[in-house]
Amino acid sequence: MTAVSLEVNGAAVDLDVDPRETLLDVVRHRLGLTGTHGGCEQGACGACTVLLDGDPVRSCLLLAVAAGGHRVTTIEAVGDPGHLHPVQEALSRYHGLQCGYCTPGMVLTVIDLLAHNPHPDEGQAREALAGNLCRCTGYAGLVEAIVALGAAGRP
Amino acid sequence: MTTVEARSAGAVGTSPRRREDPRLLTGRGHYLADHDTADLCHIAILRSTAAHARLASLEVAEAARLPGVLAVVTAGDLVAAGARPLDHLLGPPAKPLRWGVLADERVRFVGEPIAAVVATSRAVAEDALELIEVDYDDLPPVVGAEAALQPGAALLYPEWGTNEFFHLEDATPGLDAALAAAPHRFTERFESHRVVGLPLEGQGAQGSWDPGTGRLTLLSSSQQPHQLRTVVAEVCGLPETAVRVISPDIGGGFGNKQHFSREECLVGLLARMTGRTVRWSQDRTESLTASVHSRAQVHHVEAGYDDDGRVLALRVRVLSDLGNPVLYFSGIGPALVTVSTLSGGYAIPEIGWKLSCVATSTCPVGAYRGFGQPEAHFTTERVMDLVASSLRLDPLVVRRRNLLPDRPRPWRGRFGQRLDVGSLGPQVDELERVGSYAEWRARQASARADGRWVGLGVSTLVQGTAPNQHSTAGRFGSIEMASISVLPDGRAEVRVGTKSQGQAHETSLAQIAADALGLPLEWVTVADGDTDALPYGQGTWGSRTMVMAGGAVLKAAGRVRAQMAAIGSSLGLDVPALGPLSPEVAREIARVAWWEQDRLPPGADPGLSAVAVHDAGFTGDQPGGGHNHDDTYTTAMTLVAVEVDPATGQVRILDACCVLDCGVVVNPTVVAGQLQGGFAQGVGVALLEEVRYSPEGQPLCSTLLDYTIPTAGDVPVVRVALRPTPSDVLGGFRGMGETGIIAAPAAIVGAVEDALSPLGVRLRSTRAHAADLRALVRAAGWVPDPATWSPL
Amino acid sequence: MKPPPLDYLRPATVDEAIAALAADEDAKVLAGGQSLVPLLALRLARPSRLVDICDLGLEGVGEGKEGSIRVGAGVRQRHLELDPAIRTAVPLLADAVGQVGYPSTRNRGTLGGSLAHADPVAELPVVAAALGAVAVAAGPSGTREIPCAELSTGWFSTVLDPAELLTEVRFPAVAGPRHGAAWREWAPRAHDFATAGVGVALDLDASGTCTAVHAAACGIGGSPLVLSDALGSVIGFAAGADPTALLRSVATAAREAAAGGEEDQVELVGLLAARAVADALASAGVAA
Repeated sequence: MTAVSLEVNGAAVDLDVDPRETLLDVVRHRLGLTGTHGGCEQGACGACTVLLDGDPVRSCLLLAVAAGGHRVTTIEAVGDPGHLHPVQEALSRYHGLQCGYCTPGMVLTVIDLLAHNPHPDEGQAREALAGNLCRCTGYAGLVEAIVALGAAGRP
Repeated sequence: MTTVEARSAGAVGTSPRRREDPRLLTGRGHYLADHDTADLCHIAILRSTAAHARLASLEVAEAARLPGVLAVVTAGDLVAAGARPLDHLLGPPAKPLRWGVLADERVRFVGEPIAAVVATSRAVAEDALELIEVDYDDLPPVVGAEAALQPGAALLYPEWGTNEFFHLEDATPGLDAALAAAPHRFTERFESHRVVGLPLEGQGAQGSWDPGTGRLTLLSSSQQPHQLRTVVAEVCGLPETAVRVISPDIGGGFGNKQHFSREECLVGLLARMTGRTVRWSQDRTESLTASVHSRAQVHHVEAGYDDDGRVLALRVRVLSDLGNPVLYFSGIGPALVTVSTLSGGYAIPEIGWKLSCVATSTCPVGAYRGFGQPEAHFTTERVMDLVASSLRLDPLVVRRRNLLPDRPRPWRGRFGQRLDVGSLGPQVDELERVGSYAEWRARQASARADGRWVGLGVSTLVQGTAPNQHSTAGRFGSIEMASISVLPDGRAEVRVGTKSQGQAHETSLAQIAADALGLPLEWVTVADGDTDALPYGQGTWGSRTMVMAGGAVLKAAGRVRAQMAAIGSSLGLDVPALGPLSPEVAREIARVAWWEQDRLPPGADPGLSAVAVHDAGFTGDQPGGGHNHDDTYTTAMTLVAVEVDPATGQVRILDACCVLDCGVVVNPTVVAGQLQGGFAQGVGVALLEEVRYSPEGQPLCSTLLDYTIPTAGDVPVVRVALRPTPSDVLGGFRGMGETGIIAAPAAIVGAVEDALSPLGVRLRSTRAHAADLRALVRAAGWVPDPATWSPL
Repeated sequence: MKPPPLDYLRPATVDEAIAALAADEDAKVLAGGQSLVPLLALRLARPSRLVDICDLGLEGVGEGKEGSIRVGAGVRQRHLELDPAIRTAVPLLADAVGQVGYPSTRNRGTLGGSLAHADPVAELPVVAAALGAVAVAAGPSGTREIPCAELSTGWFSTVLDPAELLTEVRFPAVAGPRHGAAWREWAPRAHDFATAGVGVALDLDASGTCTAVHAAACGIGGSPLVLSDALGSVIGFAAGADPTALLRSVATAAREAAAGGEEDQVELVGLLAARAVADALASAGVAA
């Protein structure tokens, strides 16, 4: 077991972890933050996306020990059921989710997209989502939500 | 795509915000693997690495000694603990077959479960798997249904004397004569290739045994919690009342999670054997290689037609690869649906089929959205396209000449189908209009002149929805149950036996109930997936939920509304027979009903509560002969335009449009989303997905890099035009969850063939992937010009 | 799919890292983890210990000799994508790196990690080989320079010793006065591992005539296929000339250089080489 210290959703966390545990497993099962989901454990689907020092990463590809000393943000720190983040609000408005399993990863990916490109067109929205697999929606509502968010942000 | 209204009456026909969204968007959903307990331990399964072998020996002692391991079990341990086999109970002509929860002396596919480890973590359990020694005496693999029927093929179940698990045939009496007399005939072979449903959340189950009550609680990511309870109880040797199954939030199902699996039974058994909460979580490799595959059919087709393109006779021999078969009805079910839906929406006078379902040494093949209809529809659409091209007729013209005439209704199919559909000709008219068909043909001509390869494909689909199983499975039936109570504060609690996996049932069924009760939408909550909350139900699959649960909700709500009306009128309150009630009136009635029995009218039962078990009533043997399998039918006319790059085989979908009649529409946005999602899966089938095996039966797709599903860059927006014709069932609903995936591969493959028709390329498989198209183009002798080539 | 048991070390200096690698022949470098961790999860890689190089200060980007640019082996791919200095100094690298995985994998994946992993269809090893970049490796016997075109021995193997780690990659200065670059690949889905890819960087004189070609491909055999010599016909191509014959000859030459590869990939390399040359000329402002 290895001691690791990191910050998760603003709180300092000190744990003893098995070096082979991923950040995904630690977040879900040591910290009870089950909003981040495992879809492949291979880095291919994006469902496990969290923010590391503010940038999206695949938590299934990050050993918890390697996250030591860093700042982790999970979906639980983004809005809550009574008060959604604008990206969450848009996804609901435009039917950008069905089963919800890919959704936390999508939300964080979209937040990052808009931080880099505040007014994406449809092609840029699709490109930005290329690494986040969704099996339910066929992406139409997600893309519409992103373009609407970009248009709404225009001065 | 319709946007949802943030505040609305929420009536049937509107698109209020989904109840599910706030929790799912914020990571507060509770999927199977989110239910940690203090005593939780984890299961890893040892799976066969041989496609076909005798298990000569299995040594688990070293694995059991690894620190952190609580138990290692094999087939014998489970039997000693009282486990019964899973028995399909199908009866003849299916061969007899049972599965032990774990394989015993023989394995028949790579991935078949052989042993299970229970440990403090999945990682330790997987460490222990590596310490188990297995000795395989290899037997010859059997890969491909055609190979399985060759003389000399190894027999997977020698007691059958064949690898054929199931055989059935039927034909209208004039088929042979009609084929012989037809002015034109062709013979073709079509293939629907093997794919896998692949919900993003893997299957999983978690069990705990309470010795105090003698009850097993099983969480499962299952589309059919009640029927799973039946099976788990049988396999564990328990009465059904001793088993509670809970299906929590499910991260996609698509039929892949409607089976009753060995793993779910294993979890139930291990919970009792260890006295701990035990969880099995299917990982991605297991989901690709050892869950349930689908399609995998070959059709040999003879079609006879006249000079006008009317198909006079159709004979289809269906060869269905079941892998290692059983899976209860979902094993042979899709193939049976294929043969019973071959005529689709066409009035083909003479039709016949032979069905052979074959065992092979590969992963079991079973349910995936569409459940046999995609295979049938692909064949009939290819037949129509071939008729059109052979006569140089427009493909839509040929469809029109073959589709059902407008009368009579219901239309009786040759084998007893009861089609209560609307008028199909006008629906095709609308497709041509909304899809700009004539303009697309003009665009195609000018694109060709520019050296671009543009094609159009169509699908004219009549889809069976809300099927009945009883005539084939011998049990399971087709009913649905709902209970509704209006509580003292006027709020309504609805419980249903179906199970949402993302289809927004908490919203749409609430809309139906709220309308029927006359209550505000926000006052109605819908819950599903708990066998303790409702005695029975048959889950969500087969596009059945609006028809079956919608009907059950209407019935139960109608009874509660009648109770409210009787109480209200005796109290002198204003309660119209239908329509919204004032919330104050509703509350007053509820309080009186539950708390003030002395104020009830004479003879009235106290409380406001009703249960309905609903049979929509149109399936079964038909008065004129034959058998109708589906309670109602949905029609969808789809147009797809594609551009193909022959140099790379890349296909870009330029436009996709669907005119959909799915009866009374409860929530238009949800309907459009279901169509879009199913269409996307159809894009995957046609352009990106295939489950492949080596000739030795080794799976070749074990990660998401081998099995590639569509991304946001691969799927167009499907424009949906709704054209509701109420069905004959209670509520006028029709199901449509499977419509997109049935229509899309046929339309896309047709469009790709149309695009490449100048090269004479012919497509006979649902698989039109880039590598396939490159090979076909190269064989046609076409070479790109590097000076002008650029990617799509 | 959980990794097998392993130890983890995050040393603070390159010497400590080398010592840890040298002490255990089954130790492996952990950089961004985007390639290694999936192998751990599938239990296809079974290192006894991981030596994390992320605290070794290998993230710098700076000027080298003669206008070359030194890029630390630990520089994240996302940084390569977004840093204007990289776009100016190594335009082919900037063009290619946007195709490497997804933004969330580029936030972790490193330049050195990609080169050392030597995936046959990875973009960055091909770019480095095309441009004649030089990798610097540090090991128990000291440091050495390895031309990137010689780094991969094919199919996930390199000339690196088990106890060596890459510390930086030096890209030669962009020769000019004009320069164009383009990376073109094809995959069944955008951002998948490429079926084939070609990177082309062109030096041109002030009038827009091409004076040098740097090119390489992936998808043919197990390591980058350098095409600079094969595409020599581009040298002397003048601005404003009709490119039709040139592009056809580029495709033919690329296909010939790729002979022995799978037929599909050979054809694609031909097409992609021609497209990359055309787009590189266009990026240099040469109408083609």
